[in-house]
Amino acid sequence: MTPPLVEMIGIEKHFGGIHAVNGVSLSLHPGEVVGVLGHNGAGKSCLMRILSGAMSPSAGEIRVGGKSASLGSPQDARSHGIETIYQTLALADHLDAAANLFLGRELRTRWGNLDDKLMLAEARKVLARLNPNFRNLGDPVSRLSGGQRQVIAIARAIYFNVKCLIMDEPTAALGPAETAMVGQLIKQLRQEGVGIFLISHDMHDVFDLCDRVVVMNRGHNVGSYRIDEVTKDDVLSLIIKGALPDDWAPRNTERLQ
Amino acid sequence: MSVAANGAGKAKAPPGLNAETFHKLSALATLALLVGVFALGNAAFFSINNGLTVLLQTSVIGLLGIGMTMVIITGGIDLSVGSVLALSGTVTGLLVKAGVPVPIGMTAGVAVGALCGLASGLIITKMRITPFVATLGMMLIARGLALQLTGAAPISQLGEAFGRLGNGALFRMVETQPNGLSKVIFPGIPYPAILLIVTALAAAYLLRRRSLGRHIYAVGSNEEAARLSGVDVVRTKIAAYVMSGALAGLAGNVLMSRLVTAQPNEGVMYELDAIAAAVIGGASLNGGVGGIAGTMIGAFIIGVLRNGLNMAGVSAFIQQIIIGVVVILAVFIDQMRNRR
Repeated sequence: MTPPLVEMIGIEKHFGGIHAVNGVSLSLHPGEVVGVLGHNGAGKSCLMRILSGAMSPSAGEIRVGGKSASLGSPQDARSHGIETIYQTLALADHLDAAANLFLGRELRTRWGNLDDKLMLAEARKVLARLNPNFRNLGDPVSRLSGGQRQVIAIARAIYFNVKCLIMDEPTAALGPAETAMVGQLIKQLRQEGVGIFLISHDMHDVFDLCDRVVVMNRGHNVGSYRIDEVTKDDVLSLIIKGALPDDWAPRNTERLQ
Repeated sequence: MSVAANGAGKAKAPPGLNAETFHKLSALATLALLVGVFALGNAAFFSINNGLTVLLQTSVIGLLGIGMTMVIITGGIDLSVGSVLALSGTVTGLLVKAGVPVPIGMTAGVAVGALCGLASGLIITKMRITPFVATLGMMLIARGLALQLTGAAPISQLGEAFGRLGNGALFRMVETQPNGLSKVIFPGIPYPAILLIVTALAAAYLLRRRSLGRHIYAVGSNEEAARLSGVDVVRTKIAAYVMSGALAGLAGNVLMSRLVTAQPNEGVMYELDAIAAAVIGGASLNGGVGGIAGTMIGAFIIGVLRNGLNMAGVSAFIQQIIIGVVVILAVFIDQMRNRR
């Protein structure tokens, strides 16, 4: 069996006396969509920030493709094919769409100058794939709508040969049509063998898109289940109580009886 | 959407022009207006000679303004440039006085400026002290060093070679007349002006065409986003402060060379002129916005104002008041435009 795309083993993160993430282990396989759920402050964003290199863990190991990797910075994570769509989108408001898309890994000409023409052409291509109506590429992104900004953040993550994609509430700022587009995109990426961590509060999205759910509660991983084993109520119980209902049995086996 | 929004209100940006270009054009119009008014008031203002004088006087503010612009775009500020200017100039003066060849002495002076910038940059990024406080400290340190090194006394009699950078000119044409006197046909383009133009072009190229320039804008626009996008925020900021320090050093050498004297208490409050030039030129102290062309226009607005008011016999005190009002007006107009 191929090793998991990404494995996080015994990850801990402490802020002073607060244990934000407490001995969490999880894994992600190619072509798998894993929903990461939990209360605000349950540690899910923290865990994902550790994987994206934005935060360093207090303890624990991260393996990429079976090999131990140290993700000391967002650059490190990106060089391992781990891309992140942040909830805040992480866009530089005064720069235009193309500049944001290539920020930190600008395309350059032979002389080391910025190749703005090529970047604009590439940006146009990838943005058109996500939203055919995307036009004002020359405007600073502060002038764009929430949906357009979200599209730039998504485009930035998928443009560069992504293997593992972390999506932190990717549809929070989107209308119904754009949300459907993101759903389509997730399915398409899954078919291409990309592994996806999806952080979401929307139970409908999670059950629609995910193969597996991981639930965090007070910094612990309180459950990792295939999506066909659990119901929405089970997941809610995990999120709120940190445990499954007392009389729980896997949903799929129950149906067989 | 954007065109419609820009079309309303009293400060109209014509269609096809973005806000930044519009700001630059209005600043340029202000500059032209100033030149026009002063030229009407005094015939001598609008002459080649006076034009070159303005160019010479503006070169110091211009050089400081270029460095300041880069720092301001990152969302910081550099209050130390006036003092660093003095320190660099006095270090060069001391070295030249000690017998070091002028080019090497000047290079060392600029290097001292860059070192001051490096120190500020490290204090800001590693010790996480706000740019205002860090460069305020550097302002005192550099000034104190300059005064301590010289015992607060100016260093004079530095030789002709030391004065060449500040007083020399390219294409200067002098004709010896039959009666033995020499007549200046064309006063030449002063070296400081050439230095300013070359530096401005290089800085504009850096900001627009190189990754470092793009990162400078990104850091000022949204530092966390820049970091998450893989921009080396620390390196970018330090680079901006080093460039500001080095340019302050260069400006110091130009100024001291013009005076042919190294003055440890020269350049007091110059940082404020540099900030004013950048801000009049459209740079935002919140970061992410600004440009070299704008700052050049801003520096010339200040230079022309000073020169014109001097020629009109306005006292230095009134001049300060006027420049203060201009700075506030420039920022106010800019905010009016952006608020809608």
